[in-house]
Amino acid sequence: MKRYLYDGTSESLFSAISWILEEEAEPEKVLLTEQGLELFEEGFFIKANTGQAELLFQRLCQRAPDSAYTITLFMLAEKRGMESSLLRYVSLAFAHGDKVNGYLTHPAVRDIVSIAKRAGRELHRMKGLLRFEELQDGAYFAKMEPDHNLIQPLASWFRTRLRAQNWFLYDVKRRTAACWSNGMLQFGTIDKFYIPALSEDEKRVQLLWQTFFRTIALQDRKNPGLQKSNMPMKYWKYLTEMQT
Amino acid sequence: MYIILSVLYILPMNTLEKLQILSSAARYDASCASSGSKRESASAGFGNASQSGICHSWADDGRCISLLKILLSNDCRYDCAYCVNRSSHPVQRASFTAKEVVDLTLGFYRRNYIEGLFLSSAVMQSPDVTMERMVRVVEVLRREEQFGGYIHLKIIPGCSSELVRKAGLYADRVSVNIELPSQVSLQRLAPQKEKAAILEPMALVGREIASNLVERQMSRKAPRFAPAGQSTQMIIGASPENDFQILRLSQGLYKKMNLKRVYYSAYVPVSDDNRLPVLTSPPLLREHRLYQADWLLRFYGFSAEEILSDDLPFLDETFDPKTAWALRHPEFFPVEINRADYATLLRVPGIGVTSARRIIAARRFSAITPEGMKKIGVVMKRAKYFITSTERAFEKVDQNPLRIRQQLLLGEVAVVPPSRQLVLPGLYLS
Repeated sequence: MKRYLYDGTSESLFSAISWILEEEAEPEKVLLTEQGLELFEEGFFIKANTGQAELLFQRLCQRAPDSAYTITLFMLAEKRGMESSLLRYVSLAFAHGDKVNGYLTHPAVRDIVSIAKRAGRELHRMKGLLRFEELQDGAYFAKMEPDHNLIQPLASWFRTRLRAQNWFLYDVKRRTAACWSNGMLQFGTIDKFYIPALSEDEKRVQLLWQTFFRTIALQDRKNPGLQKSNMPMKYWKYLTEMQT
Repeated sequence: MYIILSVLYILPMNTLEKLQILSSAARYDASCASSGSKRESASAGFGNASQSGICHSWADDGRCISLLKILLSNDCRYDCAYCVNRSSHPVQRASFTAKEVVDLTLGFYRRNYIEGLFLSSAVMQSPDVTMERMVRVVEVLRREEQFGGYIHLKIIPGCSSELVRKAGLYADRVSVNIELPSQVSLQRLAPQKEKAAILEPMALVGREIASNLVERQMSRKAPRFAPAGQSTQMIIGASPENDFQILRLSQGLYKKMNLKRVYYSAYVPVSDDNRLPVLTSPPLLREHRLYQADWLLRFYGFSAEEILSDDLPFLDETFDPKTAWALRHPEFFPVEINRADYATLLRVPGIGVTSARRIIAARRFSAITPEGMKKIGVVMKRAKYFITSTERAFEKVDQNPLRIRQQLLLGEVAVVPPSRQLVLPGLYLS
């Protein structure tokens, strides 16, 4: 089977997909993998071409907007080793349009759609589970450790929701941060991090929330299994209500 | 207790203690939905409502927390037997000021603890006085604080229609609790509440929502009236009604009053009043089966009369209502999944709304095989007895309902022991 290689960046990935779709008569029959994973690898290396990658994505947005969104979610998962599935999915999306997401009996569609769905589920979850703390200067600060790289979509979500206050998001595992300050949204990476001082009011509000959390539960209907399946314990670390 | 004592000196005692009293008084309200409304905040304000609704946490009972669910006051004039806040019950009483509720809501919202506010109240001096104070709280939130988050407001039966209209203009969802499934039970357990006083505001809200939709079609700028619709709640197991009566009532509410949701709340014993049944535990399985049947009414095209009948007035505790229906109607099966239409697919146990849609989407590309069904996400454990694929049965199962019944039961992991309701002899002879 013919093999193509790319350099591991998303620009290069989409450039390669775009190139293959143009040059290969049967994209179903080629492989696409990251360069440098094996010692003696053979294959055509395709260089990143930002313009071509963007053009591909624009065309996809027009032809199949739902699939374009699925791919956006899929990319949040930062999955390696599924490039060939992605190639087939894109090729099917151009052939069938948005209907492709219903083609769940096709292994490539199923791979991409199920990973995108998992990313989408965590994104939705984090919209609820993120917890801000008020700092001394009146800004709000939230830490998180999601499985997927959610900082961009989360930041744009809170940009509309909490636009009247300044806030920071910090992804502890990836060391990336988003900052919304005076109507400007910025992204960056952080190497050294110190925990800023909390405002005087913060502990009081946290205590109110913890109290509410405890009293709202019906003790006659305790159900820790259901609680954990809805809110897995991996998220508890940063939940204010679980810090007692 | 330690935590509370340790902060007494920093905290203005009041808000924390009130929150404790007034949130524990509000926890018997089942609804915590924050869906169905899409609201953008005013340019000067903040907060929005998401169409899908967002859960922010899950309490120890496994129920989602999406709204700050509190009572404005638990100081009740009424003496309803099933309620913790009844006037004859010696509980500590408290009332929030409007400012306290507003500060709590905004403080929680800014930290992303909640999606919004669910405000209810006990009946203080009169329904009008109570409702007016509640409306005042949301008025401050919307008008002065420019708050764009979700608000669910309870309507106090018996308040003026002017206040109902005002409530609908500020809130995303309004609800009037029907409390008990029949007029007779209402008279016995809540003598100060009248059926008419409950149904009247419900009908008013229904009419306003309908006419608001027409107005919004003519002008996008027309103010919205309760964009997330109205809901209600009834207590299950505190009165002798059977499931058939309850489902028919819900069906009527959905059809005639245009309700979004009916909530069922298993009666949690809060009183030893001799008008109430003695329960060992809340009838949770019954509540669960009623919710399943409710879903069949709203999304699966079933009618109450198909699910139950006068000869069969209670839902089967061992099987979900759809499987129970399928076992009573062997003539309907097997269903050919590559040809059946959506409505027919929905009637197959193990196939839900999502998998029915997926089946229809997937068979555009190729015929669906048994392996394909699993990939799509159908619960084959139940579905395999009721379907064929391109004329081939999925497994060699014989279609004898009795046999299927047995096999389904064997496959069912851990059947929950039903909680039996102890009824004192002579209690329900009213």
